[in-house]
Amino acid sequence: LKNLIKKIVILLALSLTSLSFADTYFCKNDLENLPILQGGRVKPLYVHASEVMKNLTGKSKVGDLSAVESFCMLSLNGMGLPSDIKLSARVDHVDLMKFLGLAKDQHSILYEDLLLREEAIKSEARMIKDNESYKKAIGKLYDSIFLYKEIKSGENWLLAANINNHIEWQPLIVYLTEDKVIAQKTLTPDDPFLPVLLKSKTEFDRLNGNAKYELELYYAKAGLASWALSLTIIALATLVLFRNFNITLGFAAISALVQLVLIALRVTISGRAPVTNMYETVLFSGFGSLTLALILGHLKKEKIFVYMGLGYNVCTLMMLNFANGMLTATISPLVPVLRDNFWLSTHVTCVILSYGALALSWILSNTVLIKRKWGTITKKDELYYSNIIYTTLKWGTTMLAAGVILGGVWADYSWGRFWGWDPKETWSLIVLMTYMAILHGRHTSWIKPARFITITAGAFLSVMMAWFGVNYILATGLHSYGFSEGGAIFLGSFFLAQITLLIVTSNYKKDAILPAGE
Amino acid sequence: MKKLKKIDWDNIERFVGSLKFAVIVISLFTLFMIVGTFLESYYGADFANRAIYKTTAFMIVQFGILLSIIFAATLRLPPKKRLYGFYTIHSGLLIIGMGSLITYVAGVDGQITLAPNEPNRQVVLSKDILKITYPAEGKQVTTYLPFSAFKTDINETYDIIAIKEYLPFAEGKFVWSDPINHYPADAQIHSSKYHFKNAFAEQDLILSIHPEAGNDFQSTISMGPLTFNYYPEKIAHCFEENNASKIIIWNSVTAECFTPESKGLPVKTTGAKNRFVVLPYGKNFLTFFPDFSPFPMDMKLQTDEKSVIRAFSKKLFEEKPNLFLFGKKAAFYSKADKSWKMVDLVVKGPSAILPWMGAEISLTEHQDKLVPFNLPIPTIPIQKNGTLIKGDIRAVRLEILGKEYWVTNNSPLQLLVQGKKIVIEVTKETLNLPFELALTEFKMDKDPGTNNPASYESFVKLFSDGVTSNHHVFMNNPMKKSGFTFYQASYSQDSQGQYNTTLAVNVDQGRTMKYLGSLMLVFGAIWHYNLNNNNKNKKKNKTSDQNDPGASA
Repeated sequence: LKNLIKKIVILLALSLTSLSFADTYFCKNDLENLPILQGGRVKPLYVHASEVMKNLTGKSKVGDLSAVESFCMLSLNGMGLPSDIKLSARVDHVDLMKFLGLAKDQHSILYEDLLLREEAIKSEARMIKDNESYKKAIGKLYDSIFLYKEIKSGENWLLAANINNHIEWQPLIVYLTEDKVIAQKTLTPDDPFLPVLLKSKTEFDRLNGNAKYELELYYAKAGLASWALSLTIIALATLVLFRNFNITLGFAAISALVQLVLIALRVTISGRAPVTNMYETVLFSGFGSLTLALILGHLKKEKIFVYMGLGYNVCTLMMLNFANGMLTATISPLVPVLRDNFWLSTHVTCVILSYGALALSWILSNTVLIKRKWGTITKKDELYYSNIIYTTLKWGTTMLAAGVILGGVWADYSWGRFWGWDPKETWSLIVLMTYMAILHGRHTSWIKPARFITITAGAFLSVMMAWFGVNYILATGLHSYGFSEGGAIFLGSFFLAQITLLIVTSNYKKDAILPAGE
Repeated sequence: MKKLKKIDWDNIERFVGSLKFAVIVISLFTLFMIVGTFLESYYGADFANRAIYKTTAFMIVQFGILLSIIFAATLRLPPKKRLYGFYTIHSGLLIIGMGSLITYVAGVDGQITLAPNEPNRQVVLSKDILKITYPAEGKQVTTYLPFSAFKTDINETYDIIAIKEYLPFAEGKFVWSDPINHYPADAQIHSSKYHFKNAFAEQDLILSIHPEAGNDFQSTISMGPLTFNYYPEKIAHCFEENNASKIIIWNSVTAECFTPESKGLPVKTTGAKNRFVVLPYGKNFLTFFPDFSPFPMDMKLQTDEKSVIRAFSKKLFEEKPNLFLFGKKAAFYSKADKSWKMVDLVVKGPSAILPWMGAEISLTEHQDKLVPFNLPIPTIPIQKNGTLIKGDIRAVRLEILGKEYWVTNNSPLQLLVQGKKIVIEVTKETLNLPFELALTEFKMDKDPGTNNPASYESFVKLFSDGVTSNHHVFMNNPMKKSGFTFYQASYSQDSQGQYNTTLAVNVDQGRTMKYLGSLMLVFGAIWHYNLNNNNKNKKKNKTSDQNDPGASA
């Protein structure tokens, strides 16, 4: 293999004399729609390179180089080609910074330096016993070093090779043979390497078709989540600031349509219902609640539903666009138990839609709390708002009951029991029971409209606990495929903010609530 | 005499069927569940079940909900058209409750593990039992252990065995205990505690060859590539001999040993250059091929694994790191010197330097007769990634003829009482299926280019009434037979690398009722909340339905 690599390097060196892009060799953005196999599925190099660079450095670009160029350059290191590309790992954990000897304001360290200390890092990771967060941080760093080494060795870049009309995935150092380069050199003497690599795409497309991964390239580049966020913000602004409902409706509908396209693309690419990780559930819940709000608003002739839908939609789209540490847009293969589209598209969608419906009540109740504390509101308004909230609760609880039951039926079908007190199941029932208690209580003297609004705002904490808390805080049970990291701080902040708002707004001036008709 | 006040049943019915009572029981139910999920997260599912979900208090709250549902419905009779949805919801809930009760009382929920081509019919259920076996009489007695979260007194007696207390979660506190049985003065039953460390880790190791040492204390332990082998002290001198053949012949009962060279036994080689030794033993001859097996072989090259005379080839332990410990001596092969080394260890003395990555070992305790024992201490368990990391011992304290004994799920108790052998175990209840199952193949597909499992599949043979049938069980595709349903639950790999499969086994007579009740609940909710109100809204047009007692389910 060494000899082969030497020959390739010589060939490359000879070629470079006539090339104008010597600093990046043949690493060009033309490679971005090359199919590669990574993470258990075929995807375009652009998607993989972006994910990998983000994972390693926290950013997709490295200086002026795109993710594809940097990934390619780093991979060529495995063939002995020098490059100036220098990647740095982001380090935030205080103990890890101390261990690496970083100054207080220095949060990055070169991977090349980390490679020299790999054994010491490994040894440190083994010696940590009680400090869980440090252990996780050092474990994550070690994984990143491993990934960096894998890319540098050329092993991470798997290209499609046609072996007897059958696709075999080969690492770059195996795929890029001397024979192929020499043969290509007769056809394109100035640049034989790029065509050899691009041939991998031609062969893959010929044998397997190209629809899905090419579609994924367009999907990844389109940035639909950002477009949807802009449209929803405009819609909300036209409603709140300019009070032009027709324009609001137009932008809201376009935003819903963009989100529908986003969901449809993910469904086509992954071949499954769009509710298999936190990113998708947040996306689906936001889209679902906006659609439900538009329908309810139309049926009930109430503009306020559109405000509620847009308000929640902004929150979900903000999370999709900015909470990248917590929600990853990566499309990955599913664990075996989830590979059932019927149950995914019934049970999970039902539960997530119900969370979306309950979120509508959360938006309105918080709005009323703020308005009651710092603005003016009449008794009639309060009753009106509580009736609107009641409507969304009825929709939310009905869908949640259906979702919980469908989950029980799926659990019975997959695991052999309808109910097992698994934390995810139990928390979905807790949410249902919390809202059922509120719905029942509303008809007693205990929960009057004013208190009903406050309680509804607080009750959404149970939804957040069931949705995020079980995955990020409890992290136990049979639904372990949904567990992830990085959300505990978000959830803690959410709880803190909501509880603070409830406390601050609990002491409002009663005369702010004017009698009906005034 | 003061007349007893007559019970006002109407008032009770009104209260139990009221919305306020509903709010109270629903809130209590919710509170229990919240506590349960946090308990599960920190202390494991079993603890949460024992402390919350399967307690009488939680059952009472659920019963309260059931009563609330019944009385709320009866209070609103005779039927009113606008409450049809409400009746449907409450009937659905009652039917779900009844279905769940049937499952709870009569259902089966267990697991069966299938090894390749080994028929099995035994399903392991979830209840803990104490099993007392009298092997000579072929008699077995079992008693259920309480489903409690904490230490529970039992005070039950069977024959001469008094069952005193049960610890569902315990951790072992290491102690040296007196042996239960009597042994000859020169019996090799010693145990030692060592402290081992290298550049990456340090650890205390307790090794024992005492027959009463439980599964927690073995004579062989592996730590990464290094294996610790604990042998009787008497064998150490044969290791020290450094004989040319590197073969030791020893008696596994008396621990006496010698080398072929010391007895003038020639070590010959076969035509295929395999070494063998022939040992005269009584009127017979024992033939050993020590590079293949420690046991003697007969003419058909079958090993006699019952033989107490065994041969040991040191050559087999030269390639990989192996440390032989004989209480106060340690032996290892030095690749640098190409020879076996023997070092002395003194209790609480200096460490011996080993030839692997700066490793060293010291002897901290040594006992000739006492038994190493993990005394069960009640604890609150701790779980991590679904596995208990603390408190995974289930223990029962017994009193037999005035003496105290502990039995744990890791250490069954074997006793000779009044000439009778008794085996006592803490185990799980089992159920025998009316048919047998055998695994023919376990298949695990992986996502392309990764080690992530894409599917688990078991190909199973079912033997029933002389008829054999083949079945394919995988995720979301269970197998059904005679009321039992089998689900792909888990898998494991044995020491030979073969896959075993674990199937969840389930009988649920309440399933149909739960499904029917669920349907009624959902349709009732849609009817009551989403269809009814449309009509009502038309009439009321934005007025509150606040005082309508039937507006809520």
